[in-house]
Amino acid sequence: MTKIDKTAYQARLDRITELFAGMVAKADEVSRHRCPYRDRADQCTAAFRCRNQRPPAVTGDPALCGHDGRFDYRPAWETDPSAYARAKHKIGRVKADAARRRRTPPGTEE
Amino acid sequence: MAELADIANATIRQEIAEYLDRPVEIERNIALFARTRPLMQEIAVAVIEGDQVACDRLTRQALEEGVHALEIMDDGLIGGMGIVGIKFRENFIFVPEVLACARSMKAGMAHIEPILSAAGVEPVGTVVMGTVKGDLHDIGKNLCIMMLRGAGFSVIDLGVDTAPDQFIAAVEEHGAPLLGMSALLTTTMPNMGRTIEAFIDAGLRDDVKIMVGGAPVTQEFADDMGADGYGKDALACVALAKQLLGVAA
Repeated sequence: MTKIDKTAYQARLDRITELFAGMVAKADEVSRHRCPYRDRADQCTAAFRCRNQRPPAVTGDPALCGHDGRFDYRPAWETDPSAYARAKHKIGRVKADAARRRRTPPGTEE
Repeated sequence: MAELADIANATIRQEIAEYLDRPVEIERNIALFARTRPLMQEIAVAVIEGDQVACDRLTRQALEEGVHALEIMDDGLIGGMGIVGIKFRENFIFVPEVLACARSMKAGMAHIEPILSAAGVEPVGTVVMGTVKGDLHDIGKNLCIMMLRGAGFSVIDLGVDTAPDQFIAAVEEHGAPLLGMSALLTTTMPNMGRTIEAFIDAGLRDDVKIMVGGAPVTQEFADDMGADGYGKDALACVALAKQLLGVAA
């Protein structure tokens, strides 16, 4: 089995990190106008339903992405600030429920 | 100076001719592939085409034939990924293709890891990653995993729709000191908090650092749910993972 020098290997990892970092930055940029689940053939690769999905030309193929590319995919959630408020409330409740449960001795729950 | 015709592999020649435009990149890639073994070129093609099965088989074959692991990385895996990066930058391919290429590269790297281990080169750390229960979005998580693996982490990918007990089981099974959770919806984000509470209930919270991320997640939410850190993107995820594990950046 060939041996690997640790420093030489680290140099390769640094190169891979540099390559990937460029790709991640590009992915962020592309996501401003194109859904990241949309592949080069304009097929949707998501495992979930999306209102932009269109029937494929051939039955059995993945759905096509029908989005017009005019929205910024990333901050789409920010359009509904109340959703944040609900999430914050829910997270607070999760913590409070857990704390209450831990304070309650087993077998004495209501 | 090497010329395109000096490259044995027709697919590599075609990739360079069709997708590379910058003279410096054309020259560099021709120089690289013109001097590499045909088998390394085949590995590069497997990465470029996102063919995990071929990358797995060809990397194993190369090691069996005595090719040095670093040569496989340089001339095959990284060489192929370099072309993938250019194609992505120039909008010839998109995120799903890039992730498929990264998975192919990982399939090849899987054969190199035992050699690293034998040489005393251990992973930077082990990270369990998953998208929380009720959420099927995986692109952000997969980009984080790509970056983490590229930086030398061993990553256990639990996929999407991951229940708290699945996170706990994976952390216990792999002895992972770090857990990363992703959510893309404000409706599923509270499940990060539920998972953290489940770790507390299981008596494991002190054994694992927990980082969270995803489009709707903010530092404030991370603090609210009791996470150890928040990463706004895949680059931040790697820096945070290193910080939480006390690894020099």
